[in-house]
Amino acid sequence: MLNPGAYEDRQNLQVRLVGFRVGIVVLFLLLAVAFWMLQVLQYQRYRERAENNHMRTIELRAPRGVLFDRHGEVLVQNRRAFRIAVVREQSATVLDDVLTRLSAVTGVDEAAVRALVKRRMSEPAFMPIPVIENASDAQVAAVMARALELPGVVVEQVPTRSYPADGLAAHLFGYVGEAQPSQLTDDILLGAIVGQAGVERVYDNLLRGENGNRLLVVNSRGREIEELQHEEPVDGKRVQLTIDADLQRALEEAFHINGFNGSGMFLDPRNGEILAMASVPSYDPNEFAVGMENAKWQALIGDPLKPLRNRTVQGTYAPGSTFKIVMAMAALEEGVITPDTSFHCAGSKTIYGNSFACNKPGGHGRVNLRQALQYSCNVYFYTLGEKLAVDTIHKWADRLGLVGRTGVDVPGEDESVIPSEAWKRQRFNERWYPGDTISVAIGQGYVTVTPVAQARMIAAIANGGTLITPHVIRAVDQGAGWQSVPTHTTVPPVSLNPEMLAAVRDGLWLAVDSGTARRAKLDGYDIAGKTGTAQVISLDAAKALAGRTTRDLRHHGWFVFFAPKDNPEVAGVVFVEHGASSGAATPIVRHVMDTYFAKKEGRPLPKLAPPAPKIPVTTPGDQQR
Amino acid sequence: MIVDRRVLPHLDWPLLAAVTALTAIGLATIYSVTWNIAADAPGSEFWRQMYAVPVGLVALAFCLLIDYRTLAQRSALIYLALIAALIGVLFFGVVVKGARRWIDLGFGSLQPSEFARIGVALVLAMWYGDGRRNGRSLADLTWGAVVIGLPAMLIFLQPDLGTAATLVPVYLGIVYLAGLRLKWVGIGLLVLVLLSPAIWTWGLQDYQKGRVITFLNPELDPRGNGWQQIQAKVTVGSGGLFGKGFRQGTQGAYRFLPEAHNDFVFAVLAEEHGFFGVIVVLGLYLFVILRSLEAAKLAKDRVGAFLVVGIVSWFAFQVVYNITMQAGLAPVKGLTLPLMSYGGSSLVATLAGFGLILNVRMRRFTN
Repeated sequence: MLNPGAYEDRQNLQVRLVGFRVGIVVLFLLLAVAFWMLQVLQYQRYRERAENNHMRTIELRAPRGVLFDRHGEVLVQNRRAFRIAVVREQSATVLDDVLTRLSAVTGVDEAAVRALVKRRMSEPAFMPIPVIENASDAQVAAVMARALELPGVVVEQVPTRSYPADGLAAHLFGYVGEAQPSQLTDDILLGAIVGQAGVERVYDNLLRGENGNRLLVVNSRGREIEELQHEEPVDGKRVQLTIDADLQRALEEAFHINGFNGSGMFLDPRNGEILAMASVPSYDPNEFAVGMENAKWQALIGDPLKPLRNRTVQGTYAPGSTFKIVMAMAALEEGVITPDTSFHCAGSKTIYGNSFACNKPGGHGRVNLRQALQYSCNVYFYTLGEKLAVDTIHKWADRLGLVGRTGVDVPGEDESVIPSEAWKRQRFNERWYPGDTISVAIGQGYVTVTPVAQARMIAAIANGGTLITPHVIRAVDQGAGWQSVPTHTTVPPVSLNPEMLAAVRDGLWLAVDSGTARRAKLDGYDIAGKTGTAQVISLDAAKALAGRTTRDLRHHGWFVFFAPKDNPEVAGVVFVEHGASSGAATPIVRHVMDTYFAKKEGRPLPKLAPPAPKIPVTTPGDQQR
Repeated sequence: MIVDRRVLPHLDWPLLAAVTALTAIGLATIYSVTWNIAADAPGSEFWRQMYAVPVGLVALAFCLLIDYRTLAQRSALIYLALIAALIGVLFFGVVVKGARRWIDLGFGSLQPSEFARIGVALVLAMWYGDGRRNGRSLADLTWGAVVIGLPAMLIFLQPDLGTAATLVPVYLGIVYLAGLRLKWVGIGLLVLVLLSPAIWTWGLQDYQKGRVITFLNPELDPRGNGWQQIQAKVTVGSGGLFGKGFRQGTQGAYRFLPEAHNDFVFAVLAEEHGFFGVIVVLGLYLFVILRSLEAAKLAKDRVGAFLVVGIVSWFAFQVVYNITMQAGLAPVKGLTLPLMSYGGSSLVATLAGFGLILNVRMRRFTN
């Protein structure tokens, strides 16, 4: 360290360090003086300021946008609900007595009220703590009458979401609730009400509106002295849905009267507008709007029937015989058969050493494609399964919209899966066996699809091959009248050979006219469609379990359809859980179609006859597959 | 050689004790202001801060036990790692309130920018100390500016202007000690004044402009930016001579004062313990700074002295700025009070910095 100049250097350094120290000491002295002035000289002023720290913001909640159906009927609106709240600061030392009296006059549980208030003790004392959401008129009157005995208790009016009383289209509308921590943004603050499911969630940005507020100065007794700021809330945008309320009611009513759970979707195959969309069992979104009690919420999410699940988009099932439509299109388009190609059905067929049964034990005899669709002949489609590679089937299923997601504007859509060789290798690390293709040919095995994907598939058959994106939004009022929402992106049309398409449509019409879907037949209207069954468990397993489980093991029933046959304007899918027979879905469709045409032609809407005749339970042996 | 047992008796216990005391006072204040009445327990922030203490002490021990010269010699490497981390955080950082500042480590998150000052102090100490450069030529000054400019720019991009700005005192402290001529200070100030319109127009985000405007006239915006400044003064002023008492404060506890456990923890202390508490804590901070400067004075070599001054400059700047802000005398800026404010990374980095200061003093007799 004894380089030349080191000593001088060190001297210099020490001088600068002294400068540093002096600077710091001076700064700290100045700070001490500043705090002396604030805390000692100006103490009185700031103490009063702190005690009178009674600036108060009152949030004015914006009403959410009103939802209309396609004909302008109001579906979801807002009502003024009363909310009883406690402002701790005003109750001050008598808070305890106030809470006791408040519970007594309103008849609510005192312990619950106390717990509620205690939970929010850490908030500023001037913030109203909502104690009774959605208070009854009697409660409001009781509180108003005793205002003097209840200092700090205030009645506020808040716009609250109001859904149809019967839970109509609950899954479609969804529900609203307080924003979760993950949903908070610059616009969505703690405690904000946002859409949590369905349309409320997907179009929350349109529907939400902007809350307003009032900034008040109040004295220490809570009396308003001055209003510093007043911002009116801005209503959410009005939104028109593609739904037809009459069809929606008809669909849900048909499910209830027939006593089934399940789902259904009716749409316009020309543009993908969803006319009705139901999932049963349902729930009452109004209960969410006023803040649901925890016990109720637990009961809802714990319900084994899963009423919160939107079955039209959530849940995948084997398409069963409805998949024969895809098989027929694939075989025709690939040139494997012509519409007139016929095969002999003897009631079963032996392929690769295994015997595969037809749905009719005695056999259908010689059938061509139209008849095969009409009677849902398994043997005919086993034969197609022999002739088509699984990847070809996958390709056609994809072209018809059965693979992946449809992009419907309802949250939570599941993915539909049609197997391919690559898929099986990736999923099970196993090669594809030709026998696998035979199950796929009748929509069993690895094939699982959502109802909404089925709706898109049948719409493509109905419109000549265009893949529509099912959607529920039609128009938005941004303040300058209705503006239609741009048509959703559609995949370029699949060029389906008109002759082949006509043959398939014929077969589907025959199925309703005089085949497996007879019970959907509506005289004077050419409905075409195809039934199908999704097995809950395999037949062998069902036998093994017979009488040993309380689980409902009856099969699910499908029906995909469109009408009128030659110029389709409505298409869709109905899925009935545990319908036992694939025909269980057909009367539901019949009723909705009846309503559709009646409305179109200006006839009175049909009433559904009370309890439909008990559906004969077919034995598993002659199940359609 | 990592630890030579002979150096341990030279550990500066009074400095360590004062640093520990400030940390404890900070914890107690956070405990008080985050108290959750409903749960009848301190808030989660308190516990998170508690967990940062042992981590910080380990970091302190680490920075103490390795000879600071060993670290200084590897400072280029440390610097590169720091730059890599700052670039990484821009791409993989977690977005909180619109800024990418944290890296999620799975068991907790880390704010690399908090450690930038230590890295920069090491590099600059090595450069000006070992290289015998004196901070008088423009080339020397520019090089140092580049060293802090790069991480400062990366932190600015997060965006976190406050933390980026704290790199500047490290640089200024070291070049001052290295013999910076006052002429350059004058020129620097002049350039700053000339550039300020450009910085105002292109360099500042709207919210930052808002803070400056509000500082000059808080009543313009009594709800937004001005609110904090007004309420800070009310909080401090209402404390009086002896304060309202532990856990008796109303301003922070009832959320009149935002960020009470964080940037404004000192105001809460002033409210609950009054002018008396303020003087005690100011005294502790002053003691810590002066005692640290003594380590610079006693340092065996220039590297040690420069390293200490680099760290102390940052510490002193942040302490003085933050406390000035509590008194309503500086614009509200997201700058925490070292050792006392809520923030795990900040506490760990600060304790690590004191590890280095203790290190220099402890090894003043070794060769």
